[in-house]
This record gives sequence, structure tokens and C-alpha cells, in this order.
Amino acid sequence: MRVGIVGAGFMAETHARAWAATPARVAAVYAPREAPTRELAQQVDATACKSLEALIDQVDVVDICAPTDLHAAIGLQAAAASRHLLVEKPLARKLHEGEKLLQACQQAGVQLLVGHVLRFFPEYAAAQAAVARGDVGELAVLRLTRGSFQPWAGSSHWLTDDGRSGGLILDLMIHDFDYAQWLAGPVDSVYARSVRSREPDSAGDYCLALLQHRGGAISHIEGAWAYPQPLFRTALEIAGSEGLIEQPVDSTAPLSIQLAQQGAAAADIVAPTSPLAEDPFVSQMRHVYAVLMEGALPLCSATEALAALRVALAARESARSGRPVRPDNLEGRQG
Amino acid sequence: MARLRVALLSSAHVHAAGWLAGLRQRAEVAVPGVADEDEARGRAFATEHGLTWFDSYEALLAEAPDAVVINSENTRHGELVELAAGAGAHILCEKPLATTAAEARRMLRCCEAAGVMLMTAFPMRFSPPVIAAREALRAGNLGRVYGCNAANQGQLPAQVPWFIDPQLAGGGALMDHVVHVADLLRWFFGSEVREVYALGNRILHQELEPQVETGGVVLLDFEDGSFASIDCSWSRPPQYPTWGNVKLEIVAERGLLTLDAFRQASTVYRRGTPGPQLAYWGSDANQGLIDEFVNAILEGRSPAISGHDGVQASAIAEAALQSARSGEALRHQNEMDAP
Repeated sequence: MRVGIVGAGFMAETHARAWAATPARVAAVYAPREAPTRELAQQVDATACKSLEALIDQVDVVDICAPTDLHAAIGLQAAAASRHLLVEKPLARKLHEGEKLLQACQQAGVQLLVGHVLRFFPEYAAAQAAVARGDVGELAVLRLTRGSFQPWAGSSHWLTDDGRSGGLILDLMIHDFDYAQWLAGPVDSVYARSVRSREPDSAGDYCLALLQHRGGAISHIEGAWAYPQPLFRTALEIAGSEGLIEQPVDSTAPLSIQLAQQGAAAADIVAPTSPLAEDPFVSQMRHVYAVLMEGALPLCSATEALAALRVALAARESARSGRPVRPDNLEGRQG
Repeated sequence: MARLRVALLSSAHVHAAGWLAGLRQRAEVAVPGVADEDEARGRAFATEHGLTWFDSYEALLAEAPDAVVINSENTRHGELVELAAGAGAHILCEKPLATTAAEARRMLRCCEAAGVMLMTAFPMRFSPPVIAAREALRAGNLGRVYGCNAANQGQLPAQVPWFIDPQLAGGGALMDHVVHVADLLRWFFGSEVREVYALGNRILHQELEPQVETGGVVLLDFEDGSFASIDCSWSRPPQYPTWGNVKLEIVAERGLLTLDAFRQASTVYRRGTPGPQLAYWGSDANQGLIDEFVNAILEGRSPAISGHDGVQASAIAEAALQSARSGEALRHQNEMDAP
């Protein structure tokens, strides 16, 4: 199986490392910027392509690690050439783009897999398994927290451009929107508050969202791009009729090293880590390989990824309007 | 010779014994007795704590106490406040002051007319970690506050059935557990709540067929532009190592403040018990609350927690219940500020 990675940034590198642990081969890399494309291609011994067409020609699977606003266009082109797709989350920047991509992949008969890697993080996977076994009974209140410093602060990186990335809610909190729906089912109503929905130029962003699930459960989702460097924290708590699962902030860190990081030493972006025999991104890629080569069922279907996008866009709309928003009522071009 | 006589009106609330213990720490205070409309409950409480039993509130108030502590079910606070104010006694009332803003305002007017103080029992204002958090915020090092993720989760006080009786409690988890943190946030931010949204459900403890919400989360907008959520769910299972928590994480322009008010506790594992238990060794905020009530009376000054504070917290809890019922956010400031 030959993989082509579109993009040459943080997530492209992360994916490239993970692919290396699978039987798949990264055969091609393409990004508009030549130097990073060459560098990444060299690292993984792949061809640095000069165009998306050239990449598509050389591979069986297109792995889209490009900026969010480009996901749909790249995906549509690859689907038209009957290539399977792995798209880094979120599925797309706008709802209608996500819907179109889903349709195109169905028509082309290709897989559309979305990198909701959180499902492969062992603490989240274990909690989901416990819920599925019925350990905590009927779900009542889910609490999910995810926060870091502002990535790429002070730069013109696309992630800091709300129009391109969808900001904190679409880029970071979508992990937990997907997870909440994985456990507690579809969401009927979203109510959210965020700093940047009122002050687009605020130095940091912070958001709280309340989800009413159709089945009765409530989810409380907290997202932050406001912590001091180099903090990245996650937490989960699931309360049900028969019990409680707690995974508090910092409890996933058996090892803690606190170093002052400022100025040049500070990272532009980080992913949460816990020392593990297998990195969750590797687990994800092994799974993607099993789906594409061995007929395994996707852990996260394209429909579920689209539902996560819907909830995230509903949270943005609620934070903007101040009103509760029903994800099912969203218009395609809303973003 | 005691300078201050403080009577207990009702022993319905689980906190009654704690307030009594606090009063007994004060040499200036004598407790003339307890009355309770539930004779069995009141007599048992009197016997257990060595108090004189009175068979009516009127009989106890005829002893002319200087002050009372009201420990009744939530919806009975109003009638007892009226009785006590009529007898000229200063009042410390268990939270929530009332289950509606209108009732709370009526109670406050009644006390103002009688010239007695009406203080609501918000002991968390006297927790040293809470005070330290407020001082850090007020010092301004964190910069502007973006928002706050707070929890006041607990075990369901199942040994006291009225907590899930809508007639007596006026609501469930939203009525019981929103007011503490709502009061702290008003106090921290120096800003009033502008809008209230809440969700609730009855999935936890469903074996009790509760007629009130046992799980709930509220999201508050403040006048200063910040926002905060409070998880008030009775989501700590019976075998949880402690009764519950008060936790706040405040995310601000220049940093993060995390407060876990009951973190000062050791974990104890004992043969014969099903799991670990937390043994709290932090300072006793309840004593701080009682001291403030007693000192304010002795010094003839207003207490740190005003009647207005009690009214505002009640208004927020009422709005949360209404929002959970309607599914809409409530702009509530006019309502809350109405005279």
C-alpha cells in the first residue's frame, strides 16, 4: 500500500512517523512549499511531488494533512481518481464541504477515514470500552477537557486564522465532540460560549460547550488555547446510573518534567503525550491499514466525523449568537 | 455569662449539627434549644446534641433569642424567616435562601423592616484556599478572566429524602449545588450574572424515581464578559472516598488558576472498609461562617454575606431550573435586580 501525504507541517510529520510503523510505505509527499516538502520526503524516503496530481498518480491512499480549509478540495480530487482517503480532523472547514466529500467518496467507492486519533488514546479507549460493557450504566453527565497554549502564537500560521482552521472549537474541541457522540450518541442541542466569538483578536481563546444528547445524557466540553507554555492538559469524567469513571487532569502523566520554556525554546504546537509502548498515532495508522488492506470496519465512520463537525459548527454558531443551536438545523455554508 | 443566645429552627438539613458545633466553639454564645415541625426528628436531634426541645417555633422564639439558625427544608425557609424576624432575631439561613427570587426578596424586605440581619450560609467564602484564590485574582496577576470551569459535585444526601422532593427542596441538584459556586463567582469577579442556561436530567439515582434533576450543568454569563460553568450533579457514587467537591479552574489572559477547595485531605485505607476514604485536614470553613455571623451581631455591623447576596444566588438557581425546563437561555438581570 502506497501512501501520499499532502502537507509537510506538524501533523504531516506526525503521520509520517506513524506510517513507518505499518507495512504501508509513504511513497509521495506534496505541499505547496518546496523546502519542507523535500525535507519530509527525504526523511521517509519518498518522492517530493511538484503537484497534487503527481502525488495522486503515485499512490493508493491520500493522507490529507493540509490546512483544514483545503481538506475538501484535495479530498474531492483524490476521490475523483478513486483513491482512498485519510483526512486529518476536522473532516472539513464547512458543513457543505464535508457533506460533498462524503458523497463523492461513496460514489467513487473509496474509504473516507478521518483522523479522530483520540479514539486511539488508551485512557479514552478504555473508558469507552467500560461504557460499552455497561460498567457505569446509563450515561448521565460527561465532562471532557482539552487545553493548551495558543499554538503558533504571534505567527501568521494558518491555524491562527479562524477562517482557515475554524479555531479552537473546530481544531481542538472537535476531538471531544466526536468522543462525546461516540459514547453518548447524537446531540440535539449545543450551547456554547467562547472568548474569540466576541473578541476575534483576543490573545488566547477559551470555550465552554454544553451538549444535550438525544438519549438524555449531558456533555460538558471545555477547550482552551490560553494556558501558559508549555502546558497541555486533558481530562475526562463519565458519570452514569451505575458508576463513575474519573481521569483527572495530570493523571495521565506518570512522568513529569517541568522546564521553563520561553522565547526561542518554546514549542509552536504540541500534542499530549503519555509514555506508552505504542504511540496512539501509530495505533491509528495500524487501524487505517487494517481497514484499507484487511477489510476491518472503521472505528470512526465518515458519518460520525461529519456529525462531530456538525456539533463543532453548532458550538461556533451558539457562541456567536448566544442561543442554543440544533446541529440538525445548521445550513451547509455555515462555519 | 453568654452575651448571645442563638436558637436552632428545624433540624431538617444535614448541616444543622455542623452549625451547632460552630456555635458551641464560641464562649459568648448559648443555644437555648431547637424546635422542629417534625417532632420525631427534632426530639432525636435535641437528645443527640443535648439541647432543649421546644414543641413549636413560637415557643422557642418566645424565649427571645438574639438570633436563629434556620435549617429547614428549602421551601420552608420563608415562613421561618418571617417568624424569626417578627421576634426580632437575627437570621443565619441555610442555602439556598429561597427557591425563587421573588420569595428571597420578600424575605429580605421582611428582615429589613424588622431591622434584623439576613445572612445566607455560604461557608465556602471562609475557606482559606478559596480566599487565597480570590486574593490572587484580585491582585490582577492573571489579567482579564476569560472563563471558569467549576464543579460542586456531590453524593446524593440519600439519608435525607426531602432533597429529592420537589415540594420541599424546590428542585434537585440545580437547586442544591449551584448557589455555592454562583456566590463565589459573584464574589470573585465583582460582577453580576447576566444570563443563565442549564441542562438537567434524572439518570443518576434513577432507582429512587426522582422527581427532580439528579444531574445538571449550568453556564453563566457575567456582566464583565466572562462566563462560567458549574457542574452541580449528584454524581459521586456512595463508595466515593469523600462526599464531593468544590473545584474551580479559572482561565485568564495571563494564566490558569486551579482551586480544589477540599484537596487538603489524606487518603486513608482501612481494613474492613470497601475503599479509601479522604480524611480532610484543612481549615474549618463552617467555623469561619459562624464566627462571621456571631461577630457581626456582637459588633453591630453588617455581615460579609448580605441579604442581596442570598437573593442573587437564589435567582440564579431559579433561572437555572427554568432554563433546564424550557431549553432556552434566560436573560435574568432585570429579574434579579428587581426590588
